[in-house]
Amino acid sequence: MSTSQRLRITVDLNKCVGSTICVQLSPSVFALNDQRQSSVVDPTNDTAANILEAAEGCPLAAIVVQDAETGQVLFGAKDAAV
Amino acid sequence: MPLVTDDLMAPDVMTDPHSYYRQMRELDPVFFNERWGGWMLTGYDDVVQVLRDPDGFSSDRMRFLARELSEADRQRFAPIFDVLSQWIVFRDPPDHTRLRIVLNKAFTPKAVERYRPRVRAIVGDLLGEIEGKGRMDVVRDFAYLVPLTVILGLMGAPDLDRDLIKQWSEQLGVFFFLRADEPRRREIACEGVTSLVEYLTPIVEEKRAHPADDLLTALVAAQERGELSEQEVIATCVLLVFGGHETTMNLIANGTLALLRHPDHWERLKQQPALIESAVEELLRYDGPVKATVRWVKHDVTVGGKTLRDGDRALVVLSAANRDPQQFTDPDRLELTRSPNPHVAFAHGIHVCLGASLARMEAQEAFLGLTQRLPVPVVATDELEYHPAVVSRALKALPVEF
Repeated sequence: MSTSQRLRITVDLNKCVGSTICVQLSPSVFALNDQRQSSVVDPTNDTAANILEAAEGCPLAAIVVQDAETGQVLFGAKDAAV
Repeated sequence: MPLVTDDLMAPDVMTDPHSYYRQMRELDPVFFNERWGGWMLTGYDDVVQVLRDPDGFSSDRMRFLARELSEADRQRFAPIFDVLSQWIVFRDPPDHTRLRIVLNKAFTPKAVERYRPRVRAIVGDLLGEIEGKGRMDVVRDFAYLVPLTVILGLMGAPDLDRDLIKQWSEQLGVFFFLRADEPRRREIACEGVTSLVEYLTPIVEEKRAHPADDLLTALVAAQERGELSEQEVIATCVLLVFGGHETTMNLIANGTLALLRHPDHWERLKQQPALIESAVEELLRYDGPVKATVRWVKHDVTVGGKTLRDGDRALVVLSAANRDPQQFTDPDRLELTRSPNPHVAFAHGIHVCLGASLARMEAQEAFLGLTQRLPVPVVATDELEYHPAVVSRALKALPVEF
């Protein structure tokens, strides 16, 4: 299922420790890169609810989810909208 | 003659593990310690590599321990195996993943932030009793009470006897933290874990009969959905009370010691409480509560140019990685504003500490409270003693005057 709202999803690799929680909660959006850190493979490939749950589940709060159109931060660091 | 001792329990190593592991890293960051019977990894990059590789490295401690014991001993220590084999920290995927997803919700940074006012109140109440006395044992009178009160509250069991839980947790910890000096360590741990199970089981049953909005009820509900087994529920309760206070207690005690040994830092934190987040990260890096974690090699794998063989064990020395000069500038210096600070005090990878956000928040509130309410304390003993343990960095007591 895909989301109707276009999302911009960012993983802060300085924070990501490779817990893989996001990969478990939204496996069609997140995958591990060759450093075994999270990367976004397809931001459209899940519901917004699942993606937000994955972001919220991150133990390091390394994931920021924004509305791709408006830049509004839907989850994550408030200073992320740049 | 080795240039550096291979005795991980040597008194000097207990007192000052940082100097020891620095020498070890300089000598050989991937060192096979014959006496301990495994590899010692002390370089940052190697530590991160291993912690991020659950396919190459197992955490299934009880399975590997069982191989070393006779059938009779396995029977004798059944209470430890029954409980600890169910702990998320000692499991590999896919069981680890299933448990983590169930438990993670209650410990996300956002979930934890909701508990902050309660933690602040607990810290305030404790310091209210302490501040007029002019002296305390930081461990006994403050550091263990904050996290244990918090975790019991979250579990929905605020009235449990904290002193009993501490006593049984200490017994269990004798096994858990590799207290190699104690020949009866497995018997003692059996007593501790059996007492904890007997004490906690009726509380779980109570939640089953009368659900509430708390962590124990969430565990029971997860069992009813088929996501956890009954043994996993009770074992996880034991883990929550044990893991929920033991390590945070040591974080608060070690951090307090580091701050009072740097009185200018104590004063600075008092003047600039906004520094608290980076200060706690630095205290975790500088003298964190967990020195090391153990992994078992699942298939031959190269670390730092050496081949670790299937079945080998490795001591992954977090506190050495946290002072690796290739990663941290001036690593032996306490610098409350250090940034970036990618320490591995909570480990890394799939086993990164479940309670990390909670521990961070508790430590922030504890150090804010201490620095706001008390003048810089001085240590009121000639000699500080640490529990002789490879894994944990645990002061026996921290008597101070102020």
